[in-house]
Amino acid sequence: MALQKEMTLTKEEIETLQEIMNIAFGQSASDLAVVIDTQVVLSVPFIEIMNITELPGYIKSHVKDYKYINIVEQKFWGRFKGDALLIFSSGSGKELISMLQSEESLNLESDPIDVLERETLMEVGNILIGACIGKIAELLQDIVTYTPPMAVVETYYYDAISVSHYDPRSTAIVLKTDFRFDEGNVSGFLFLVTSHESINWLKEALRLFLEQYE
Amino acid sequence: MVKKILIVDDSPIARKMLKSILPKDQGYEFYEAENGKDGLEKYKDLKPDVTFMDLTMPVMTGFEAIEEIIKYDKNALIIVVTADVQMKALKAALDLGAYMVLKKPLKREDLHAALMKAQDSLQRVE
Repeated sequence: MALQKEMTLTKEEIETLQEIMNIAFGQSASDLAVVIDTQVVLSVPFIEIMNITELPGYIKSHVKDYKYINIVEQKFWGRFKGDALLIFSSGSGKELISMLQSEESLNLESDPIDVLERETLMEVGNILIGACIGKIAELLQDIVTYTPPMAVVETYYYDAISVSHYDPRSTAIVLKTDFRFDEGNVSGFLFLVTSHESINWLKEALRLFLEQYE
Repeated sequence: MVKKILIVDDSPIARKMLKSILPKDQGYEFYEAENGKDGLEKYKDLKPDVTFMDLTMPVMTGFEAIEEIIKYDKNALIIVVTADVQMKALKAALDLGAYMVLKKPLKREDLHAALMKAQDSLQRVE
């Protein structure tokens, strides 16, 4: 893993990307806090570079304590492209429903709870992922588009993460941050996975970003 | 006069970015700390005129560090520089005694204006 890191991004580039992720996730938490009246408690983001085959094990090692998880996935592409995986702890979907909707507006008769849960997770995921990726793209002078979010509700963590649709030879740059809500029992991780195909552009974009501060 | 500036941020790049957009002709002395605990200790040692403080840091958060610094020195001028731009987070920092908050990514003009304001406050105290 260390050898791959040297081959792809320098220490300064990784630190810059970490700071950009920090700014971007701060923005997305703020956007979400406007919708949900709670504070999202942030942590320090972390960058890891690995072979794509190591990715499932890496993600599982972080989320294994949850046992059951909710996943929102969105693909994004511009010059910066990849997958965003937002993983919530078990029970988060129902917590989010109650935080997003007043009791009067919660119409369980017309909206089965599992449908509502999926839609709520997709909506929250869309806000967090969209704002985060959008801010990264803005800071790195890129424009990205997204697939619609997909949600998997209350699935056993071990079976949930697969990389079968990736080229097993490819290298993944993983941007990870974790969060919890100040109120309600909601916590989770955001993993942004971009492939080595973006690396040349990314290095140049990071150089231009830092140039403003030389 | 603002002379000694302490920058508390776990990101070396963030510290570098902040220093790079401060005026070069003011003869500032810069000191750095990489988390709230380190920042608190350096504050006590150095008594900086202005402290720039991140909020999201390992070991000791910026919130905790502000609280401890203000307990030690109620006149401390702490300017929060943060990516956590949620209103509740910013209000919490101000309630703990931060002098003002600036959002990341920092804009040169915002930073200069903040320093001018801090300078005025210091002169009033002196």
